[in-house]
Amino acid sequence: MNVWFLILDTAGAVLVFTGAAICLLGVIGMLRLPDVLSRSHAATKPQTLGMLLVLAGVALRLRSGMDLATLGLIGFFQLMTGPVAAHLVARTAYRTGQVDHGELLFDELDEQLTEEN
Amino acid sequence: MKRLLRLSFRNKDLPPFSCEFVGRRRRVLDLPLIAWLTLIWVLLWSSPNWVNLLTGAVVAVAVCLAFPLPRVDLGLRLHPWGILMLAGYLLYDMYTSGVRVTRQVFTDYPHRAAVIAVPLRCRTDLMLAATAVAVSNVPGGSVVEVRRATATVFLHVLDADSPAVLDAARRSVWRLERLTVRAFGTSDEIARVAEPPPPIPAHDRKDGA
Repeated sequence: MNVWFLILDTAGAVLVFTGAAICLLGVIGMLRLPDVLSRSHAATKPQTLGMLLVLAGVALRLRSGMDLATLGLIGFFQLMTGPVAAHLVARTAYRTGQVDHGELLFDELDEQLTEEN
Repeated sequence: MKRLLRLSFRNKDLPPFSCEFVGRRRRVLDLPLIAWLTLIWVLLWSSPNWVNLLTGAVVAVAVCLAFPLPRVDLGLRLHPWGILMLAGYLLYDMYTSGVRVTRQVFTDYPHRAAVIAVPLRCRTDLMLAATAVAVSNVPGGSVVEVRRATATVFLHVLDADSPAVLDAARRSVWRLERLTVRAFGTSDEIARVAEPPPPIPAHDRKDGA
């Protein structure tokens, strides 16, 4: 029995560590990438994955039904709210001209917006 | 005696599973929404006892009365197998997405990003929103803009140098759309996403080298 708990604890610790490391990579990406839209890639995707891994790790350490449900709730809201925030930042950046259009290879949204005007 | 509460199975005007308070201002309560809010409350307190359940229900009703949502037909259906498939794909895609973004962060050559338009096949607001959320969580792109009238999402794609990458991004959006609608959509929508994807609008690629 004890061996299994030890294995679960170790696996949980590894997951928490991996998740934290992936979140760190996301932050480094935010510092390294050039503009808002690219940074929003780095800010959202690795963070979500890292967050889920940390939650899985914590779940392996806690191992009780109610805590698992709470962790699931946290994961659910992370998945639901992260994209909304990222989309609002990207949209605002685009609409307020924070995006350098010369840097983009091509831009199909710009064509549609200018067609309307 | 004046009735204070009307239930939806007695009154066909109301949406299913809801009840209406007939007071000074009429308020329609959506029972599944209240159940969901109560569940969240109980989960946040981490102990499922009667006190939590009761206070949760009271808080949920109070929130729904204080901040009434507009009446919309969500068109939400739950297909368990579809949800499982979607969750599986999302987890797998999220893993590859994390790896790819990490690689892009640590390469030194300049990224040629682009904004592409991807026309979708589904038409309801909920499916559009759910697809956009799913797309944001996976590789390929982050959503810059969603156009409701034409059901088009605009994605920002890192490393848009080769047409193959763009094609892959579009195909992944369409695949996610199909999975999302199969998990949550009505049968109309499911039939619609079974059709081949709409043609991509032609654009002149300007090379701003």
